[in-house]
Amino acid sequence: MMQISDIERDAVAEIANIAVGRAAASLRQIVGNEVLLSVPSVDILTHDEASRVVAKPGNRSLIAVCQNFDGPFSGRALLIFPEANSLQLVRAILGQELPLEDIVDLEDEALAETGNIILNSFVATMANVFKRGLTMSLPTVLRGDGGQLFAGAAGEKELVLFLYINFEISQKEIRGYLALLMDIPSLEMLRTLVQDYLDTVSPKGAA
Amino acid sequence: MNSPTPDSSFTLASALDVIDAGVVVVDSARRIVLWNEWMVRKSGIEAKAALRRPIEEVFPGLRTDRLIQAVSDALAFDNSGFLSHTLHPALLPLRGSGGEPLLHNVRIRPMASNGGSYCLVQIDDVTEMIRRQAVLRDRQNARYRAVVDSAHDAIVTTDESGVIQWMNNAAQRQFLFDADEAVGQPIGLFVTNAAEWPSGREQNDATRRITETSGRRKDGSVLHMEVTTSRWSSDGRVFVTGILRDTTERKLAAEALKRLNEELEQKVEERTREREEALAKLFNAQKTESIGQLTGGLAHDFNNLLAAILGNLDLLRKRLPDDAKFRRLLDGAIHGAERGASLTSRLLAFARRQELKPKAVDVAALMSGMTELLERSLGSAIQIETRIPADLPAIHVDVNQLELALLNLAVNARDAMPFGGSLSISAACDTVADAGSVPELARGDYVRITVADTGVGMDETILAKAREPFFTTKGPGKGTGLGLSMVHGLAAQSGGALRLSSKAGQGTRVDLWLPRSAHQAKPESNAAQPSLKVVHPHCRILLVDDDALVRMGTVDMLEDLGHEVVEAGSAAEALTLLQAGAGLDMVITDQAMPGMRGTELAAQIGQKYPGLPIILATGYAELPNEDDPGLPRLSKPFRQEDIAKIIDVVLQRDDRGAKVVALRR
Repeated sequence: MMQISDIERDAVAEIANIAVGRAAASLRQIVGNEVLLSVPSVDILTHDEASRVVAKPGNRSLIAVCQNFDGPFSGRALLIFPEANSLQLVRAILGQELPLEDIVDLEDEALAETGNIILNSFVATMANVFKRGLTMSLPTVLRGDGGQLFAGAAGEKELVLFLYINFEISQKEIRGYLALLMDIPSLEMLRTLVQDYLDTVSPKGAA
Repeated sequence: MNSPTPDSSFTLASALDVIDAGVVVVDSARRIVLWNEWMVRKSGIEAKAALRRPIEEVFPGLRTDRLIQAVSDALAFDNSGFLSHTLHPALLPLRGSGGEPLLHNVRIRPMASNGGSYCLVQIDDVTEMIRRQAVLRDRQNARYRAVVDSAHDAIVTTDESGVIQWMNNAAQRQFLFDADEAVGQPIGLFVTNAAEWPSGREQNDATRRITETSGRRKDGSVLHMEVTTSRWSSDGRVFVTGILRDTTERKLAAEALKRLNEELEQKVEERTREREEALAKLFNAQKTESIGQLTGGLAHDFNNLLAAILGNLDLLRKRLPDDAKFRRLLDGAIHGAERGASLTSRLLAFARRQELKPKAVDVAALMSGMTELLERSLGSAIQIETRIPADLPAIHVDVNQLELALLNLAVNARDAMPFGGSLSISAACDTVADAGSVPELARGDYVRITVADTGVGMDETILAKAREPFFTTKGPGKGTGLGLSMVHGLAAQSGGALRLSSKAGQGTRVDLWLPRSAHQAKPESNAAQPSLKVVHPHCRILLVDDDALVRMGTVDMLEDLGHEVVEAGSAAEALTLLQAGAGLDMVITDQAMPGMRGTELAAQIGQKYPGLPIILATGYAELPNEDDPGLPRLSKPFRQEDIAKIIDVVLQRDDRGAKVVALRR
């Protein structure tokens, strides 16, 4: 199993925090209220491990916004919420007063755009930092348990760059996960790019 | 943009012009290079006006830079973007054929063409789709809504984390919150203990039974509720719907009912106790009454017997030779009969049938007169304290009986203090303002005489029995058990009351209330009554008594006094004799006789033979006071000297009253 060094982990977390900061600015415009996003930790996990993490505690049914990315490293980016949190998130974004039926109707689209903003921001920030372009597809909304969400063509060989993401919208805290599903060559490429980035930031630093 | 195709009659632009979506392409400088017919129709901006101008100039009134940002990201980073009408209502100024605003989503994709970077902006009209969804939903929900919104109980739906998603009209009325204030808030807004609200994550216990809980309204007031909740899921999402029935009124009513029941129970208990007490009192009163009647009757017969015995013994003494031995025997017999008479007198006192001669009595004077007697009776081991205020008003009571009563109480106290102690006798004024404050006492002014000792006292059982006749704690032969009964009888007969209070080991206190007299006590005249001149005129006397034995004894006594006696065994017989003109000077009649009583006889005689002196012989106070005809009385048992004295009094009175009596001299 691939290991990620502490410094690489810190670098990814830093890039992620820059990205979500940018996304938060976009969301703030939409919500018209304070939006804070943070990424407290980063990990590389297998599908199974990632499934277990998102499945607890009692989050059997999940909802995810999915976008494919293609470039020097390729894969799928997922923004994942337990279903209950997703409804909270949508309500926080759309406003408290909307009736339940409307929220349910609007949920997918609102979530798709919110995910799109965050995922685009994340990938765009990486592209910016690594000076490499990444093509992002349009977002789609998926539902299912952890296993179903992480199932991909590459199957077992895929690994997950797994980030915890905290939303704080209008004094509401909502917890979600950001997962980048990549095969090993892509992940190796990402590590190389991270390493290059670290070299440019601090030439003496070693991994 | 006119890309040639293999078929020159076909252009891509013409295809784009008929597509049912807005298609706009911008170049790397965000200048519009394609603007299809749909855009012309919906935005009202001609292609000429749009082409070659930056998109932000074509849409100058954008409320957000999100579109521009997304286009820039697509151009710079190859990102695809999605803008939803849900987050950006009326993003672009697009209108339908009727002029209505279009609901639209925007998709942005990077594209490359001939080595240049472009961005495709696709606009989809979702107005009809959203409208159809709404109609469908309304149709689905109409019946449900009708039921739920007309429900009397509050119905609230939360998501699985307990955030309020929806509520009916009743809930708005019940909690005083508008839907838009409550939706999005945790269920704790309504339910005081939000932990009782089931979490959607619970796998078991899908439907909760009714739980009672409290809730709060917007104004802070608390209400009681019965809550039923159930979990349900829709599109893989779990919700909890609860019916929250306001039971405040019912609960208050139930509490009031419970309180009322408790009070009722308490009242029933009180009444039962009162009734039991009343029954016990009645039973005791009836018992006392029965014993009284029995003893009264017995005493009456005894008195007659004693009268006969004493009378005969007196006569015997006169006739027996003067022999010391005879005299001793005779004195013994007389003494015994006298003791018997004293006992009957006490029995009568208890039976409240004694003849009371109440008058104004000065308690202080009475006590000072009794001191010597008490000291002698109690012995030196017992200290006597008397506290009688000098200005104590007089009381209305039979002085001899009161003296006896105090003596009885003192003797009881002595017996309770075998090793000595102190006895206090005090008196004070006591006004009873409310009937019932002292049981048995009517409203009025009283003097309370208190006799308290430092003796062994009585426990509750003995105290309860103390007033019963014949009850005694003294050994056999040492007490008659009539002492306290006598005091009680006196109090009751005099219009007063008696109260005993005692605790084992703490002495006994007796309170005796007696009514205040309307008059001042007259000092007891020490001067001897002017002695009657004892003359023994020879009289012819009609003696009426149903008891042959008594009659016989009385006849002997009268004859011994030198009178002539005509006997009658009944009132009727007496009247016959009178009618026959027996030439009588005087009538002595017994009161208690079968048929006509003594007083009735006296009344008839008084009518037919006015002026004929009548002496009434009574064993006890059979005469209700109001019936007292004022006749001279001879108390049974009487001795010869008693009879002699009363005859003298009657004859002298007649002389003084100058009443002409047909006396045969």
